[in-house]
Amino acid sequence: MRNAAFIVMVILMAAECPWLLAQQSDQSGTAAAIRALEHEWVEGQSRNDNRALDLIFDNALVYVEYGNLVSKGEYLSRIKWIAGSQLSQIVMEDMSVRIFERTAIVVGTYRERFVGTGKAQVKRWRFIDTWIYKKSGWVLVAAAAAPMPQS
Amino acid sequence: MRALTVTALLVCLAFSMASAQAGRDLNQESKILALERIEKVQAFAARDLKTLDAILDDAFVEVDPEGRTLTKAELLARVQMVESLQYTLDAMVVRLHGDTAIATGLYRIKGIEHGKPLLRRGRFVDTWLNKNGRWVAVACLMTPASQ
Repeated sequence: MRNAAFIVMVILMAAECPWLLAQQSDQSGTAAAIRALEHEWVEGQSRNDNRALDLIFDNALVYVEYGNLVSKGEYLSRIKWIAGSQLSQIVMEDMSVRIFERTAIVVGTYRERFVGTGKAQVKRWRFIDTWIYKKSGWVLVAAAAAPMPQS
Repeated sequence: MRALTVTALLVCLAFSMASAQAGRDLNQESKILALERIEKVQAFAARDLKTLDAILDDAFVEVDPEGRTLTKAELLARVQMVESLQYTLDAMVVRLHGDTAIATGLYRIKGIEHGKPLLRRGRFVDTWLNKNGRWVAVACLMTPASQ
């Protein structure tokens, strides 16, 4: 009787495994897609590619830049009118992705190289970005960063 | 004539549904605003760990104004170390995306930490998730005032 119960338990656990593996595979696939979108944002900005950015930004995007609240329209307008060389250069560092069904939270750091008072400066930031899966795919709904101490 | 009646009925139904949805959204936004006030203003100031534990998701992550990350456990531990705290929120706006809400606003923190005066102000962005009918905070970033 005990052996039978044990066998039933093993069979049930084995039946759950593919589902669990599929879930894990989904999550890692989603995380990879989100990371790719983060890089797409950086590259889109460096190319002044408003069209690419327009596709990945939600229309109700909340973007906090240097402590100021910037709308999607304001951000895209700035990218459009400033030559790529004048925009700060962003280099993504590490990032972690947490998936909550149709919401993804990205926490990471990046280095920003910009020209201030005539000389190049590098500043590091830690950011949190929120992505949501909508009809058109994953879109960015919130992005903000806090400055890290100079090392 | 029948087609016109059916069309009119459908239009009325559509308006009614849109109005009901708008009402539900407003209700959810009010809930988030209330949670922000309960979480930040009241619970932090009172060092109410039980309320904070209920409001913050177990996977909650915070980035503080110095760019440091804090888990839920680290944040709760930090709250216990603050001797006094006065938290003010202003200009809060909530944007709903189904079961996800983004709350932004301005914060002002005044208090004493490790025996030293604490004064910070800036902007925050919080992400809330509706899990089984209950809103929980999953992320918070606080950035200093205009840099």
